[in-house]
Amino acid sequence: MDTTSHLLLMALFAGCVALVGGVLLKETPRQQARTAAEIFGSLIGAALVLGWVLYFLPL
Amino acid sequence: MAARPSSKRPARSAAPAPAALPAAKPLALIYLLGWLIPGGGHLWLGRSVKGLVFLVMLPMMFVIGLALDGRLFPFTPGEPLVALAAIANIGSGLPYFIAQALGVGAGRALSVTYEYGNAFLITAGLLNALVIIDAHDTALGRK
Repeated sequence: MDTTSHLLLMALFAGCVALVGGVLLKETPRQQARTAAEIFGSLIGAALVLGWVLYFLPL
Repeated sequence: MAARPSSKRPARSAAPAPAALPAAKPLALIYLLGWLIPGGGHLWLGRSVKGLVFLVMLPMMFVIGLALDGRLFPFTPGEPLVALAAIANIGSGLPYFIAQALGVGAGRALSVTYEYGNAFLITAGLLNALVIIDAHDTALGRK
């Protein structure tokens, strides 16, 4: 795959996991969509927060 | 004088009958089908939408992982982390065996997307394990 955008790949990964997770955990389409959105937001948000935290750490 | 409680045991027929399985399908076959064909267990149990989502998404994640130069890890008991990754890879079922037969999945460690590819490949297998567990619960009428 001709992409080196880490953000895009991270979003793609989060989207796939969120969709499967939402469908897996809930039964109605509305609940599934809501859960998928929550999982997606959590994954992206956590990655961005951790990314900035690690940016300031002298590792 | 209080009446003495009866020592008679209730008749066997009075005991509540165990809940009948909603789908009289052998669990082992559901596990096998769900493992080989992601979402296959749900499709067989009549959960078409769920089954189709898994059938599309999990092999797609597997293919994306291969396209990102991910590696299908060999089962080496001497290296526990590699062995765990191999088990997760095998969890993808038929796509894993097809990839092995085609000789893809060697991985390219120098590729910038190598770790992303591994994440996709490993996660696809682990999610399929969760899907199989969900099919188990569905077959037992818990969902």
